[in-house]
Amino acid sequence: MREEMITLILGMAVVTFLPRFLPMALFTRWVIPEKVQLLLEDLPVAILSAIVFPIFLFGGDGAFDLQPRFLIAAIPIFIFAWKVRSIWGSVILGMVIYWGLGFIL
Amino acid sequence: MDKNSFYQGIRAALPIVFGYLPVGMAFGVLARKAGLTPSEAGGMSFLVYAGASQFIAVEMISKGALWFPIILTTFFVNLRHFLMSSTLSLQFNRHPLRTFALLAAQLTDESFAVAMSDVSRITNRPGYLFGLQMISHLAWIGGSVGGALFGELVGHERVGLPFALPALFICLLVLQIKNLLLFGVMILAGIFSIFVKWALPGHWYIPLAALLASGAGVFMKTLWRARR
Repeated sequence: MREEMITLILGMAVVTFLPRFLPMALFTRWVIPEKVQLLLEDLPVAILSAIVFPIFLFGGDGAFDLQPRFLIAAIPIFIFAWKVRSIWGSVILGMVIYWGLGFIL
Repeated sequence: MDKNSFYQGIRAALPIVFGYLPVGMAFGVLARKAGLTPSEAGGMSFLVYAGASQFIAVEMISKGALWFPIILTTFFVNLRHFLMSSTLSLQFNRHPLRTFALLAAQLTDESFAVAMSDVSRITNRPGYLFGLQMISHLAWIGGSVGGALFGELVGHERVGLPFALPALFICLLVLQIKNLLLFGVMILAGIFSIFVKWALPGHWYIPLAALLASGAGVFMKTLWRARR
């Protein structure tokens, strides 16, 4: 393993372990401040959204550049995921649609 | 830890195993594509063991991100386990810290969901939770290493693999939209992330936009409550 990857993996492991461990370890009834609790409720959506939407507008080099193939493939996946609520189904269907769009675009 | 609870936990893990094997393989394939070796992909699955953040890390690595933004993003993504761990801690007492360290290290959304589906089975039975989580973890590691080894044989562009992660994230995002306010947070985070990425080079746009948007969400909730 490369040294930089070991640093990365260990760092990720530590910051993942602490929020999993501290409440169990502290063990008493932990009263989380209400504002923090509200923030925690929204963070997963905010993070996933911040990952998803730039994919449609930026190229692999990070420059602003519309990505029609990603954008068009995404629309049916939003609908499919909403209606069917299947993670694995969304991934397979998304790959098939993206692959199919390669023949048209 | 008694053996009986442990075996019951293993049996309860089977649905998770069927979910983790294929998703773990997808992770292994994408990790390979991002330049990780099979041992690095397996090492990450062993030590980090947090699906969404591993996919995000691999995506960021493939875009050339440095370790610090990746670790910060990982921290934010996995902060949600804090609440799950708090909930689980109410089910246990009188156990040594090393037991909690073991249980905490393997806590995931899925194992939490299965464990909480029948609280009576986990109350003061760490063996049950350990069996449930250990088998799930093994499936995740096995899938990752398998995908990383097998991934080299697959021509990824041909089977639409560049869209596997976006599709996964879209689905995870859609599944999280439980009310109108979260829909608003999604729209805000989308706008913020596009703006920050455009304005600021590097990979800070994910944690920055996420904190801004969820901060705005808290503000909206507080306003809403004050008005009622």
